Amino acid sequence: MKEKTQVGDIDRSLYDFRYEENEGDFLDRGLTPQIISEISDEKNDPDWMREFRLKALDIYNRTPMVEWGASTEGLDVDNIVTYIRPQSRMNTDWNNVPENIKETFERLGIPQAERESLAGVGAQYDSELVYHNVRSEVAESGVVYTNLESAMHDERYAEIIRSHFMKLVPPTDHKFAALHGAVWSGGSFVYVPKNVHLDIPLQSYFRLNAKGAGQFEHTLIILEENSYLHFIEGCSAPKYYEAGLHAGCVELFVGKGASLRYSTIENWSKNMYNLNTKRAIVQENGRIEWVSGSFGSHVSYLYPMSILNGRGASAEFTGITFAGEGQDLDTGAKIVHNAPETSSYMNTKSISKSGGKSTFRSSVAVNENAVGSKSSVSCESLMLDNISRSDTIPVIDVKTDKCDVGHEARIGRISDEAIFYLTSRGLSEQEARAMIVRGFADNVSKELPLEYAVEMNNLIGLEMQGSIG
Amino acid sequence: MEKTRLNILPVPTFSSLGVNYAEREMQQYETEAIRITESQEAPVRVDVTDSSAFEINASEGRALFVIQYIKSDSKLSVDTSIAASAGARVKLVQVFERLPEAVSKLKVTLADSASFELVQLVIGGGDNVIEDAVILDGARGAFTAELADSLAGSDRLDLNLIAEHRGRKTTSEIHLGTVLSGTASKIFKGTIDFKNGASGAKGSEQEEALLLGNCVRNRTVPVILCSEEDVEGSHGATVGRLDEKHIFYLRSRGICEEKIYELMARSKLMRAVSKIEDEPTKARIYKALGWGDDNE
Repeated sequence: MKEKTQVGDIDRSLYDFRYEENEGDFLDRGLTPQIISEISDEKNDPDWMREFRLKALDIYNRTPMVEWGASTEGLDVDNIVTYIRPQSRMNTDWNNVPENIKETFERLGIPQAERESLAGVGAQYDSELVYHNVRSEVAESGVVYTNLESAMHDERYAEIIRSHFMKLVPPTDHKFAALHGAVWSGGSFVYVPKNVHLDIPLQSYFRLNAKGAGQFEHTLIILEENSYLHFIEGCSAPKYYEAGLHAGCVELFVGKGASLRYSTIENWSKNMYNLNTKRAIVQENGRIEWVSGSFGSHVSYLYPMSILNGRGASAEFTGITFAGEGQDLDTGAKIVHNAPETSSYMNTKSISKSGGKSTFRSSVAVNENAVGSKSSVSCESLMLDNISRSDTIPVIDVKTDKCDVGHEARIGRISDEAIFYLTSRGLSEQEARAMIVRGFADNVSKELPLEYAVEMNNLIGLEMQGSIG
Repeated sequence: MEKTRLNILPVPTFSSLGVNYAEREMQQYETEAIRITESQEAPVRVDVTDSSAFEINASEGRALFVIQYIKSDSKLSVDTSIAASAGARVKLVQVFERLPEAVSKLKVTLADSASFELVQLVIGGGDNVIEDAVILDGARGAFTAELADSLAGSDRLDLNLIAEHRGRKTTSEIHLGTVLSGTASKIFKGTIDFKNGASGAKGSEQEEALLLGNCVRNRTVPVILCSEEDVEGSHGATVGRLDEKHIFYLRSRGICEEKIYELMARSKLMRAVSKIEDEPTKARIYKALGWGDDNE
């Protein structure tokens, strides 16, 4: 008799290592105006930012939690450390980074990736950037890639930061946007001048090492007319039994004719609440491409939003979500067509196994003035057992007749015929299943640079480990 | 009168989209529920002009065909519950003709190998809220729905259809054709819910919405919920104007653009109308839609 597939424990040792922290560096847990002012003191915030943080805290306290989505019952924000003093100031020389932090990023392969395939790297450890560097030829082309705090204090960029910071995602957007506005720390500022085309990507890596802490980095990217950038974001944390929180924010401004590809491989540990907000606004003939792989976290709320504000602007979202034991990953995307002849394409895959729950949630809004616009949404879900759950909740909201909007979705399991075929060719059932799942995920992996596609395939391999026929 | 939350989306989503529920006043029924059984002659035609409740029971292996033609100048609520025993076959046609304000709730439970066919037409209507919940409780139950709506002027419709698969090898097939013009607004929430234990179940849902005006609003929420591995579910939706290739082809055959849109609008509704095997009802529908004379 054919046995049911069993899935064993997952080896996450590559990501699941940690170093003891000095708790004297932690600010008090919770959220009070005093703690927020202390963060401002630590960061030497300008007056406008001090006021901004306190106003955001007030909005946070007045805003209710959303009535939809995954449960956040296990998250006690009053028990989260919102800021950890850095062990050292930000460095541009890898040799000056403290040993334990250096070893952390070396184990994650960040310096090697920088040497081999990146134009610049930023590495955040807990609350602050510890390393930021950009190749000299890239800097000479006028590209700015630094941490947000440095840019805010640099008179060349201070006004740009002030006029763009949390303008796309205002603190009133939702409760965790307000939280972010109050306690944000770290993150990157990227500015690509007109007509500059960066052929190799920039990468930021975010590592949360401390127990019971939150990470609230802010990424602000501005692309001027006809420029191009590929930005890669990676994140991980060791597993603790105490809940951790990631409430980052990404704001992307894509100018006329510019093109931005934003890739994320998210692999937070499975005690993390990943309540992240990402948004892009795209001007005439500009383009935003999101490539997103969600593998980690205990609970995720992640819906990158593209606002197509100029004629001919376009957006593409390619995503995969893999929910395993103890995970409730609520992911998807939002697209707003706000101008004529805009176009969007959404292609997502989700996989649920070992009691994991994945939810695909999306919205496509085509407004009155978006005449001649086109949108297509495709989502597929794969169930690997009958103790898991997979939900698909798309919304299409159309306010003009002069558009074409299409949507299709499918849900199912791995067919017995496919397993039979592969096992008849000499593969074990576990290998056959892993191969089919990798193939299912190829929409994302083929959009990533080779080394990241390999990392993603390894993650799928880890998740599928222990499957026996 | 207090407002009640109706048409609740089984799993709520982004609140700003306004699709999670509708809030309306419920009208009271003045009489006891009208009972319909298979002993009556088919088809059973019922004209609904006041708020009413219906109980439809089909016993084991029997067939029942009911037509509810709902037309009134005043606000009304219609509550219909259907129980189909093992092997029973029930077909329900519901026509909502230009109701100023209406709430309709339909609840269907299917036992082993029972089948339910729903044909539902909404012809205009100021503000209609319609909920159809079909529970496929027994094994091999089958549900098909052919829905069509034609809204113009300032008509509003909130339609919530739920097919809940509980039994093994149950099937559901849902199709909706929509035509919107003027400032009409429609929300269609179609949910296929595969419960744990519904192994071998299949569900599909398809919506085609033709928009004829730049002030219409069409919201579509095709939901699939799944807690069973061995199922197949799919949904698809196309929303917008006519394909330019189609228009070009028909223009080249000498048909003017206005007529082309009229023909296409008819075709979206005809799929549902053609499933009504009752000539008097069809004639009433043609008349309500203004499609030629009653005998077209």
